[in-house]
Amino acid sequence: MSGYLEGVLVLLAINVVLAYAAFLPIVAGQLNLGVAGFMATGAYVSAYLTNAHGWLPVPAALAATVLTAALGLVVAFPILRTRGIYLALATFAFGQVVVAIILNLNVVGGASGYPVRAYIGFPVIAAAAVLVFAAIYCLFHTRFGISVTAVSDDELVADQMGLSVRWLQTAAFTIGSAVAGLAGALHAHHFSYIEAQYFNVLLSIYIVLYVLLGGTQTIYGPLLGAAVFTLLPEVLRGSAQWRYVIFAGLILALMTWRPQGVVTRSLLRRLFEWRRPPAVEAT
Amino acid sequence: MLAQQLVNGLMLGSVYALVAVAFTFTMGVLKFLNFSIPGIFMVAGMVTWAMLKGGISLLLAVPAALALGAVLSYAVERLTYPQMRGGDHFIPLVSSMAFLILFENLVLVAWGSDQQRLALPFQSVSARVGDIVIGVPQLIGLVIAVGVVWLLDLVLKRTRVGRGLRSIAEDAETATILGVSVGRVVPVVFLIGGVFTALAGVLFALNYQQASPFMGEEVALKGISAMVLGGMGNIWGAILGGLVIGVVETAAIHWFGARTVDIWVYGLLLAILFVRPTGLLTSSLGSGRA
Amino acid sequence: MSAARPILALEAVSKRFGGLSVIQELSFEVLPGERVALIGPNGAGKTTAFNLITGVYPVDAGRILLDGQDITRLPARKRIRAGLARTFQNIRLLQHLTVLENVMVAQYARHPSLAGMLQPVNLRRGNRWQREAREALAEAGLVQYAEEATGSLPYGIQKRIELVRALLARPQVLLLDEPAAGLNPAETEALAAQLAAISGSGVTLLVVEHDMHFIGAFCRRVVVLNFGCKIAECDCDAVGDDPRVREAYLGADTELAAAHA
Repeated sequence: MSGYLEGVLVLLAINVVLAYAAFLPIVAGQLNLGVAGFMATGAYVSAYLTNAHGWLPVPAALAATVLTAALGLVVAFPILRTRGIYLALATFAFGQVVVAIILNLNVVGGASGYPVRAYIGFPVIAAAAVLVFAAIYCLFHTRFGISVTAVSDDELVADQMGLSVRWLQTAAFTIGSAVAGLAGALHAHHFSYIEAQYFNVLLSIYIVLYVLLGGTQTIYGPLLGAAVFTLLPEVLRGSAQWRYVIFAGLILALMTWRPQGVVTRSLLRRLFEWRRPPAVEAT
Repeated sequence: MLAQQLVNGLMLGSVYALVAVAFTFTMGVLKFLNFSIPGIFMVAGMVTWAMLKGGISLLLAVPAALALGAVLSYAVERLTYPQMRGGDHFIPLVSSMAFLILFENLVLVAWGSDQQRLALPFQSVSARVGDIVIGVPQLIGLVIAVGVVWLLDLVLKRTRVGRGLRSIAEDAETATILGVSVGRVVPVVFLIGGVFTALAGVLFALNYQQASPFMGEEVALKGISAMVLGGMGNIWGAILGGLVIGVVETAAIHWFGARTVDIWVYGLLLAILFVRPTGLLTSSLGSGRA
Repeated sequence: MSAARPILALEAVSKRFGGLSVIQELSFEVLPGERVALIGPNGAGKTTAFNLITGVYPVDAGRILLDGQDITRLPARKRIRAGLARTFQNIRLLQHLTVLENVMVAQYARHPSLAGMLQPVNLRRGNRWQREAREALAEAGLVQYAEEATGSLPYGIQKRIELVRALLARPQVLLLDEPAAGLNPAETEALAAQLAAISGSGVTLLVVEHDMHFIGAFCRRVVVLNFGCKIAECDCDAVGDDPRVREAYLGADTELAAAHA
């Protein structure tokens, strides 16, 4: 496989992992504008474990994922006392604070960035993306998937119907942050260099936006969103900035005409009906 | 020393105050967090630089930048407000984020990613009060900021448009039933917000003689912290919040270094959201639902 | 005081909102398998009483007992798990779930555990949880709507879906908040038949209603509220004659008189 193609696929794989990091909280009704902060945590923890303590990259990435999950869990308690726009703002503030703290940690390079010696190649990253997709796919199709959607739709009803609302919200938030941490670790070990300024609020915004572009009604939407976001510059051989301009234009068009995103449940149903003849209604 | 820091902080704070007013005004009337505001801030600053560099007089450049801010804000209104009526509440927020991306990347395409230095067509004058040095342009900026907000307060209290805005802030549905022409009043919110933000961007660029495509993210975004501090929907709270954030930032730079600023400013935002999300003051624009 | 233990009991329950006392020392009992109606003019506090029983708000004073167990301080989510389910006055179906998924939400109350949360209810079509939900919908004549989104369905259909949802929690006590409101006569009759079947299977019913014909045909006993207090409690046949009840509905309706003319 050519180096160029591999580069694109790595980016796609990492973007897919990030997409699912943002997807689960969104399904639970949480707009996480601090995704990049959790990504940074995973990146720096994993990089540090390999650089300073000689860990192998894959165990380090797993440990980083667990630690990021722990951070997510701790932060979830105060953050999930807020709702709606306050929640979005709290996650935004959190993301900024995390990055600012890293900027001041000279042990991991501070403002000059942090080279990462241990390397993770494409096969592992691709495997990780597939595993994340499979795991979230399964999780989404358990009662957990229905329950977090219920909580997002109507907290009161969810509570009255016996669901543990706080537990579900916390779980969605924590799992989301863990997956973001994993993406960060993979990023760190593949690009061999990380700097705090990369993990800013605009990165979080891009991630959330391409997930919404793909659609959050089904498990396949985030895949499409990540694909569009990754492949857009390849399709339009222009500068990076034009790709973002077009991306912004797509979002605006979408929010005007199809805010539920490209992939919706009804679209999926129509696609499946087209592939096989209409079934007789089972009674 | 302390007093000088305080003064510097207040000068910086006046910029944050203007941005915070733009945020809080949109938030108070339309219950909408307008993420395009940092984008407009940046465009105004960059356009001021570009015009000065191109030899255009300051007297023309500033109004032009303000007008551009109003126009961009109107474009944002056209593409976000109609969706606010009846769609999911996050749609306008998402659209405004798309605008931020749009503005930032258009500027990057036009002028590249470097931070630019403004060549001021006038000498920067300072006044001395005892041991304290006050830059006259900055002082003018502070006066303008406070004056403009005072004007806005007057408009809200004394004019028909102002009453319309306050009634929409209280309860948009009832306002419509009561005959407020929402379709005519709402663009005013965006126009005012756009002009305020553009003014902040121009003042920042002139006072600190710098503009960059990232100044929206780096500077204006802190206006959100100021807004929440002062209470969403409270325009005097936004002034207070802006000044506080300016002082906090200046103090942080002085005692802990420039790299720690975001920890303080956003840490403060986080703390407020956890402890007292309604902010230090209560809303002056009503706490009703849109 | 009857020999059987009441399955639901309110003891001097009070609730204030701000300075306004909306429920005052409300006490009544419901015996297992009974069909009791809770009536009263608008604003009497009927839905508030429901909300207190199901835990939407905490009580200010008094006790609520479910089958002898004090549930006054029990969090709302645990009350349905203990066997107390309800429907809502304004339909509250979940917008982003299909009808089938909507009713399946209530199944968790029967297995409220981590294992219960991880049941693969949407993984393979035709799994047992889906089958159970479909059967429940089929019994109510609603299975053709299983894959539909809830938002565009007719009002009467949505109401009946809510009822199926509450039933899937297999409750001992079912609280119904105006189940007949907005239904046409045919739908009301179907509802009455459905409720009779539910009651026949042993579920206790407590119904808030305004439709006196419906109540008269269906409920044994009536508890009458006004201004948050119980003003009368009697058999359905006698309720129209009670002067206090007449006074409560003063001028507001002729249905009461007509139903018992």
